[in-house]
Amino acid sequence: MTMPFYVTPEQQMKDRAEYAQKGIARGRTLIASIYDCGVLFIAENPSASLNKISEIYDRIAFAGVGKYNEFHELRTAGVRWADSTGFSYSREDVDARSLANVYAQYLGASFTDGGKPLEVEILVAQLGIRNKPTKIYHVAFEGTITDEERFAILGGDSETVRSRFLAEGEDVVSLATTLQRAVRALSGPDRTIPVSDLEVARLEDLGSRRTFSRLSDDDVAQLLA
Amino acid sequence: MALPLFDVASDPGPSFASLLAKLNIAVQLPGVTNDPVHATTVVALRCDAGVVLVADRQATAAAIAARDMRKIAEADRHTAIAISGTAAAGMEFIRISQLSFEHYEKMMDETLSLEGKSNYLSSLIQQVNMSTPFTVLPLVAGYDVNHNRGRVFEYDVAGGCYEKDDFGVIGSGTPFAESALRLGYRDNMTLDECIELGALAIYEAGDNDPYTGGPDFVRGIFPIIVTVTANGFVEVDEAATRTIFETINNRRTASKGRAGGDLR
Repeated sequence: MTMPFYVTPEQQMKDRAEYAQKGIARGRTLIASIYDCGVLFIAENPSASLNKISEIYDRIAFAGVGKYNEFHELRTAGVRWADSTGFSYSREDVDARSLANVYAQYLGASFTDGGKPLEVEILVAQLGIRNKPTKIYHVAFEGTITDEERFAILGGDSETVRSRFLAEGEDVVSLATTLQRAVRALSGPDRTIPVSDLEVARLEDLGSRRTFSRLSDDDVAQLLA
Repeated sequence: MALPLFDVASDPGPSFASLLAKLNIAVQLPGVTNDPVHATTVVALRCDAGVVLVADRQATAAAIAARDMRKIAEADRHTAIAISGTAAAGMEFIRISQLSFEHYEKMMDETLSLEGKSNYLSSLIQQVNMSTPFTVLPLVAGYDVNHNRGRVFEYDVAGGCYEKDDFGVIGSGTPFAESALRLGYRDNMTLDECIELGALAIYEAGDNDPYTGGPDFVRGIFPIIVTVTANGFVEVDEAATRTIFETINNRRTASKGRAGGDLR
């Protein structure tokens, strides 16, 4: 019988984290930011149909970066979780914090379990109403959950984009200004991202129960003008 | 509840009913022994711009159980669902249908076609009607955005789905409402003409059928009128509804209750 090589737990975790981080860093960056009437999501995404941002529930949205099939599975599980919770109890009982927690639980478990760690980083955002505040929860590949203050940045190159976005100003402004700042932060000084390569969505109360909506290329171009 | 994840072979797909079954969340209503409450007459008419639905507000058991029931619901932006039959089953049915369409849309990132929705409901009706002694019959009407026209679907208790090219009627007041519609319906009616005819049909049903409520001027409760056009589901406001029923009522008062002549 051959003896397996001994690998310290520290080394094992480090290797797994490195593997997941490498996968995530290959993807492009995504920004979610609170603006004066809601939450804006913007991602660089050349595909018009394989979305990174999507609707979970009346006032909750999801965004993911990393491996598409992995965050897509998390997204559909989130929709299922929200719809069945709302059906069993009430629509008001579907809450972003609880959802972020079940995501964190799952990501944490798959990170420490034997299998391949998930190469994803996700966001769960909630548009506030009455006793519930507007929130952005950031869940990392190993299950760490962060309650983000005003904005969150995911994906490759997130530190550079973060400092660029912070330099744009720290106040809560209108949708158009937030979008303009986010696009500048994403593209940096040396390049421009065509509007068709941007995926933009928002959570904003426009009078109906469901608050998630996507912004078309025309909408985005108009707001950037 | 933990995150509902399924392996590839047992994934319930975008169907909300299948998801509930996988999660063991009961959809069936338990058997109840006392008198079921019955919800009553609803009509849906096709017109050039879309569809018009009108429904009475009464629920009846041994006596009148409720005077302000809402039997037409917005299933999604371009679809209305109305129910007749057992109220409890009907309300549950509306809730599941609304959720199913929304669930599909979120899972697939695409709205279900109107025909897709009406077919999906067939199996749901079958499930509800076969599993409990209380039957429920819906009427589905909406604006088909893929084909740019209003469409009306009727069902039978076994879940059979029938598309109507003029109008659909459900509930115990059907004979009276349908007679009014058969005499008044023409091709290419405008939205306003359909609203008037639909209101008249419900007025007739309320006048003749003990399980259908007419306009209640004492309490200010009027049948619900809904239009679904390219602009979506819109409920006619209460003041306008009151005026429509007052007009019919005044004419009927002037003719001493006779409905003949030019019908109105």
